[in-house]
Amino acid sequence: MSSRDEILARLKQNAIKPEPRPEADFQPLTFTNPVEQFQKILQVAGANSVLLEKGEDVNEIIRKTYPEAKTIASNLPGINCATVNPDLLEDPRELNGTDVAVIRGEFGVLENGMVWIKQQTRHKALFFISEALVILLNRDNLVNNMHEAYARPGFDDYGYGCFIAGPSKTADIEQALVIGAHGARSVTVILE
Amino acid sequence: MSSHAKAAKKFIADRERTAWHDQALYFVREKRDRMAHGVPEWEALRKTASRMKKHTISNLAYYLEMFERNATANGAHVHWAKDAEEHNRIVYDIIQRHGGKHLIKSKSMLSEECGLTPYLEERGVEAVESDLGERIMQFMGTPPSHIVLPAIHVKREEVGKVFEKELHTEPGNSDPTYLTHAARKALRQNFLNADIAMTGVNFAVASSGAFVVCTNEGNADMGTSFPKVHIAIMGMEKVVPDYDALALYVRLLARSATGQPSTTYTSHYKKPVEGQEMHIVIVDNGRSDILGNPDHVNMLKCLRCGSCINTCPVYRRTGGYSYSYFIPGPIGINLGMLRSPEKYSGNVSACTLCHSCSNVCPAKIDLAEQIYKWRQQLDPLHLASSEKKFIVKGLKLVMEHPAMFYSAIKAGRLAEKMPRFVLYNSLDAWGIGRELPDFAPETFNEMWKKGEVK
Ligand code: SF4
Repeated sequence: MSSRDEILARLKQNAIKPEPRPEADFQPLTFTNPVEQFQKILQVAGANSVLLEKGEDVNEIIRKTYPEAKTIASNLPGINCATVNPDLLEDPRELNGTDVAVIRGEFGVLENGMVWIKQQTRHKALFFISEALVILLNRDNLVNNMHEAYARPGFDDYGYGCFIAGPSKTADIEQALVIGAHGARSVTVILE
Repeated sequence: MSSHAKAAKKFIADRERTAWHDQALYFVREKRDRMAHGVPEWEALRKTASRMKKHTISNLAYYLEMFERNATANGAHVHWAKDAEEHNRIVYDIIQRHGGKHLIKSKSMLSEECGLTPYLEERGVEAVESDLGERIMQFMGTPPSHIVLPAIHVKREEVGKVFEKELHTEPGNSDPTYLTHAARKALRQNFLNADIAMTGVNFAVASSGAFVVCTNEGNADMGTSFPKVHIAIMGMEKVVPDYDALALYVRLLARSATGQPSTTYTSHYKKPVEGQEMHIVIVDNGRSDILGNPDHVNMLKCLRCGSCINTCPVYRRTGGYSYSYFIPGPIGINLGMLRSPEKYSGNVSACTLCHSCSNVCPAKIDLAEQIYKWRQQLDPLHLASSEKKFIVKGLKLVMEHPAMFYSAIKAGRLAEKMPRFVLYNSLDAWGIGRELPDFAPETFNEMWKKGEVK
């Protein structure tokens, strides 16, 4: 008998009385001012946010936010400040040293500042290896909480996806919060 | 004296460090409280999460098979390991098949449980921990003292010292930002040079075949971004039925663990990316036995958030190394006993039965109640210490005589108001095999008399 079958047989032999699936009997958190709440919670997560006004150019905002940036990687249409198309690179290691990555978020979660990012580039390394991450997000795409997030139609349609809430951080040395552990040291969410 | 009390004696010999450790953990506990209070439905959320776990473990084979089916359809390879040995062998086989030499790891309690790193190193595979806390512990050559905060017992100067040696940082510089960024720079090379990536699994979604890994540092995602092989290892209890169930746990995990609304990265791995192989190892290693143990089956609900450890007054004052099992605190006391009562019974005394753990556990596991049950069983197992039995008898006497009971509580309350140096000195209960619980500001009896309780 394979280990798999042995384990499954043991589980069946030791099985406890089946419990019915519980119904959630609570009203989860909701927010009345979505954009305001999202900007507030992004700050808690350590991220910047910018409200894109009519007539404003995303490229200018990116340039203004990261004036020192030499390499800006993006495969998004309209991001003409990009200096590299990451999809043309064979090896994701070539992304090391990227100053800014510009990517698109699918939706944001108001209760915790997460933005759902689906793999949209050839190498997912882009989301983590760049020094700064700019996420473009439609401000109408905000959900209240995780229940709504996972219940969005088509959520399961991804190969790799990540909820990102602010810059990479750690508090592993004496509980002192340090931004920039391994991933982006700075995250800016541009709400279009 | 129990093994815990003996080991604790060493830890509490350094009064300042004991107080510092206590405060560091309590700070995390308070952050957790603020998060819990920010979610009005918190208690209902815990209750549903707990029931959802019960539902899942009562259909464990069903959900695991569903997960396997969907993960396989997504292109992942699913393996099953009966025990630690088989787990290590499977992992090593995969590595060998790819000629791997450099494994980059993100934090996994399961790999600790299986002793994977020494197993691989004996066979010539370097396993680098990429979580900062784990990396610090790897440099120091000692195991983590906490499941979520591996280096919580280490002072910044000690980190500075070991980084000086390993990473050639400036002598005497122990600034956390400086040290963290030094580790970032060094580990970046490890990420780029690794040929095999390994992650743990926080949740495996049966309905989809996806698995979820939560980190703040982004080390799991960096780790899996370059090598051609990703091995994910999971205990069987990590499976959740579907995304609706997952929502409950994602809401609870970071808030309970570190007092954050969420972890920075909540990564969902479903299909191997271009040119990559993805392996998932499902590990039993005693879990199916827990299922068959009605008194302790609830342990399979654990999310490994660590909040029961942070809140535990004994853990806070004695540190992770006072426990003989590799997982400390209330969760570790119970899991240790399930692993081997003969080996780990020395930890069951490390509990005041204050029930704080049961009250914070996001899965509402009856941790303290279970520890109490273990104590009852020590006698038949011939593992009870005669000294402890004597104390229990004394308690019984007090309990049976109300006046004595109330004066005992008053004395306890007084003890709490004493200056810290007294508390951490003459009454340092954990070194002498007794306990000093946290007392409520008022007794129930006092509140009742004042009419504060209706
Ligand atoms: S027993 Fe509960 S509180 Fe403790 S680590 Fe597990 S889930 Fe967290």
